[in-house]
Amino acid sequence: MKPTGVIFFPAFDWAISPTHPEREERLLYTRDQLFEEGIMDMPEVREYHPRLATARDVSRVHFCVPDVESRVTEAHMVSAGCAMVMADAFAQKEVKNAFAIIRPPGHHAMTVVHGNRGFCDINNEAVMVEYLRRTYGIRRLAIVDTDVHHGDGSQEIFWHDPDVLFISFHQDGRTLYPGSGFTNELGGPLAYGTTINIPMAPKTTDEGIHYIMDNLVLPMLDEFKPELVINSAGQDNHYSDPLANMSFTAKGYAILNQKLKPDIAVLEGGYSIETALPYINMGIIMAMAGIDFSNLREPDYDPSRFKESAKNMDYIRSLVQQQLANFRGREKVVEANRKQDREFYGTSRSIFYDTDYLQEEQRLDLRMCPDCCGYRRISSSCAHRSGRNYSVYCICLPAACCPACAERALSDYEDMKKKAGYDHVYLQDRINDDYRTFETKTGQETVVED
Amino acid sequence: MKNMLIGIDVGGTYTDGVLFCEGSVLHSVKHPTDAGDLEGTLLFVLDALLTHAEAKDIQRIVLSTTLVTNLLATGRGERTALLLLPGSGLPFSAYRISPDTWFLKGGIDFRGRQIEATDARQIEEALRKIHDSGIERIAVAGKFSNRNDAHEKAVKELAKSRYPHMDVCISNEISGRLNFPRRAVTCYYTAMTIREWNRFADGIEAAIAARAPGVDVHILKADGGTTTLEASRTRPCETVFSGPAASTMGTLALSRESLNAVSVDIGGTTSDISLLIEGKPLYASKGALIGGHLTHIHSFAVRSIALGGDSRVYEESGKLKVGPTRLGPAACFGGEVPTVTDAFNLLSGLNLGDPKASRAKLEPVASGINESVEGLCRKVADHVIGTLDRNIEEMFGLWEDEPAYKVWEVVNRRKFELHQVIGIGAAAPAIVPMLADKMGVGHFLHRYSPVANALGAAVARPTLAVEVHVDTQRRFYTASPGGLSGTVDKRNYQLEDARELARHCLEELSRERGLSDYAGEAHVYLEEQFNVIRGWEQEGKLFDVGIQVAPGFIHEYKGVA
Repeated sequence: MKPTGVIFFPAFDWAISPTHPEREERLLYTRDQLFEEGIMDMPEVREYHPRLATARDVSRVHFCVPDVESRVTEAHMVSAGCAMVMADAFAQKEVKNAFAIIRPPGHHAMTVVHGNRGFCDINNEAVMVEYLRRTYGIRRLAIVDTDVHHGDGSQEIFWHDPDVLFISFHQDGRTLYPGSGFTNELGGPLAYGTTINIPMAPKTTDEGIHYIMDNLVLPMLDEFKPELVINSAGQDNHYSDPLANMSFTAKGYAILNQKLKPDIAVLEGGYSIETALPYINMGIIMAMAGIDFSNLREPDYDPSRFKESAKNMDYIRSLVQQQLANFRGREKVVEANRKQDREFYGTSRSIFYDTDYLQEEQRLDLRMCPDCCGYRRISSSCAHRSGRNYSVYCICLPAACCPACAERALSDYEDMKKKAGYDHVYLQDRINDDYRTFETKTGQETVVED
Repeated sequence: MKNMLIGIDVGGTYTDGVLFCEGSVLHSVKHPTDAGDLEGTLLFVLDALLTHAEAKDIQRIVLSTTLVTNLLATGRGERTALLLLPGSGLPFSAYRISPDTWFLKGGIDFRGRQIEATDARQIEEALRKIHDSGIERIAVAGKFSNRNDAHEKAVKELAKSRYPHMDVCISNEISGRLNFPRRAVTCYYTAMTIREWNRFADGIEAAIAARAPGVDVHILKADGGTTTLEASRTRPCETVFSGPAASTMGTLALSRESLNAVSVDIGGTTSDISLLIEGKPLYASKGALIGGHLTHIHSFAVRSIALGGDSRVYEESGKLKVGPTRLGPAACFGGEVPTVTDAFNLLSGLNLGDPKASRAKLEPVASGINESVEGLCRKVADHVIGTLDRNIEEMFGLWEDEPAYKVWEVVNRRKFELHQVIGIGAAAPAIVPMLADKMGVGHFLHRYSPVANALGAAVARPTLAVEVHVDTQRRFYTASPGGLSGTVDKRNYQLEDARELARHCLEELSRERGLSDYAGEAHVYLEEQFNVIRGWEQEGKLFDVGIQVAPGFIHEYKGVA
């Protein structure tokens, strides 16, 4: 039997600020627990060493303003690199599954990056997904985001991608950051129903979450048939987490992973650094490696402490029915959308960067292609912390696009280079793995290298 | 004048000894090892060396022996009970260390807080069963005992009071590092070998006192440093794998350059490969592997491959075979069958022993595989060089693949760039130059290469590493080895204070172990500090500081003449 790959990167020399939840100490007690248990010495586990993601790896997903080097910290580059190490280990069949216990996290980072949102610069899972697709030809994936916060970054990145099933369960957005992730957020017009949100009431317990797993998440995965399942493994649904209000336990997390059987799990949030993380991380490794976790429990664990209320179970049951129906009806909706005979579908919105206090204004246009998922054009402006205002134009050409979209996207890029009004014009051409930046002021084009 | 040094390395096949004085090997001895009587073998070699020196001139004798390694590797150690206090976490079935294992209640967490109390009645019952089974050696290990060893101590006290004749070892006194299974194994092996080691130490001590009274007697450890015979009595496990350690120290003693090098010790049956990174030997990051278990014993990262100068060269179904067996010395030295050394002898015109004998014995093998003798020799050489090269490359890869836990470690990661191949052991002169050529670097051989192991033992200095863990919120510190602990009361405790504490602990331990001469050369090798923040307020700090006298050479050693 192949081992479970584990990469442990606690970034002991990086913090957002000395007292911030995302600080050096965050994985210290997890380190103590994992090392003291000696779980990395077991034949069921193989430990890997980190590497840096390259600017090209990041550009496959993000438009970093003005560029990757000046926008993304080294810590985030290592964190994303670690996820890619796990992707390699899994895709090259060295391991049966893999768990990246890494910080900083990534699931709040969106396509365009002006700064840090929800402790994230870049999206570790998304960088890993596009790397897997590029390197190993994988196309269809599922991401199950088990963080207590809505994975709004991952949702935004895969919103128009019908080949990525993004499922996020989280504490109801009316009660917690980032305030999104409601049931009506179901994906773009050509990728409708492959984004599924499961907002849960505060205090939801193991029982409620496992009902959702058994009756919604697992059936959807079964029907979607992804080539690979990723767990965006936040740990802040735990009853002791200081930033959220749920009642999940370490054993609950272990059982969840036993059911989900993720091919790759990537740590996201979780800020109960002493009372929860050491035990949840152990539990996830044990579940993925097939090690009996019945002797694992938090010091203050009491099985009789949390009972799911009948009222909440009723809510959960109706939520599951509703989302299952949305998921199962998705192809019809996409079909209807395609027949609307619109050349472009456009939306505008405003994005807040909580860590850096930035406000981004964005306009997105999706080509309503009759043959593929379409390409995207994004114009975005934002005043950075430096005081400088950046106005940029981004063209995103997914690898699954048809030749007509590809031709159109490339000619859009050439046209935009000639126009004034934007500081930078970016091209993200995933078909040719070609990423370019054009600086209008100097007329200089930069090709992103490794 | 007390200026003579003696080093004796008891190997699996041979025991080597040197008498060293002011840069020169005055005399060396090679004698077959009698595995059944290591003491006799040692004393034979010692006596042979002493015939060339006045006993009063001997300053220090360093011994490297395979006693503990043999006991553990062959499974001949006495039955030993293991009492584990694992608390919550891995299933108990994960701990397959001793067939006589008892699990006890009691839990401690990473901050040293008690999660679950011990149960005196349960301990008593386990002890009674152990006693009833006729077991007299007990190892006790608790998870996170390195942060709080109250439970381990309670078990030990109870055992000592009920059964005073038993040997009881507790894990935190052996090692204070994180990794409970490795601590448990190291403690278990200590309890298993402590009596035999002490018996051996008694014998050696008396025998040496009779021959050379007042001489310092040191034992070489797996980390390439020495410890006094007296201090080794409580920590016999540190003496494992001292043979490869002796060779590596010998390499360093001879080359003394800060290069990235690979040291290849080519013996009769095996070759040991170790890496030097900027002149410093590479350690096994997970500790020594003994009997299939990782331990907390600090040892060099040495890769042993079953290929040596005496590996036989033969033909089987028309195919060339090289080793792994050894049927005797090379044909050129009067052996019955042709060996790797014979092939290199002809190929490189080395003129070892009787080259005609090499040719005569190789000829039938050559015709068996339809080759000229020269062609055969080249094939043997390709196989040997290829095997060594492949293993060396794999070691580089493993070194580069070590986990890293800090951003700067990843950003500043370097590739291993080799500068030199250093050859030691009797067959090295034949093989190492060609290996270095293949790897595109220079080679280093020394006239003392064949006795580098004993020389390494003779001139190695004592080593000692101390690690302290300070928790200012909970106001305590622990230090290892030895299981020291105490309180910290100072307000505004800083890294500087933790460093001072570590240095103080090292000095104390050095004094206890008779190693004070070298305490001043200690350097800090580990420094971590974390703020303990609760609810956006700082409530304390955690420090981990490691300080060590690293492997090196005694003050008297100034290089070879």
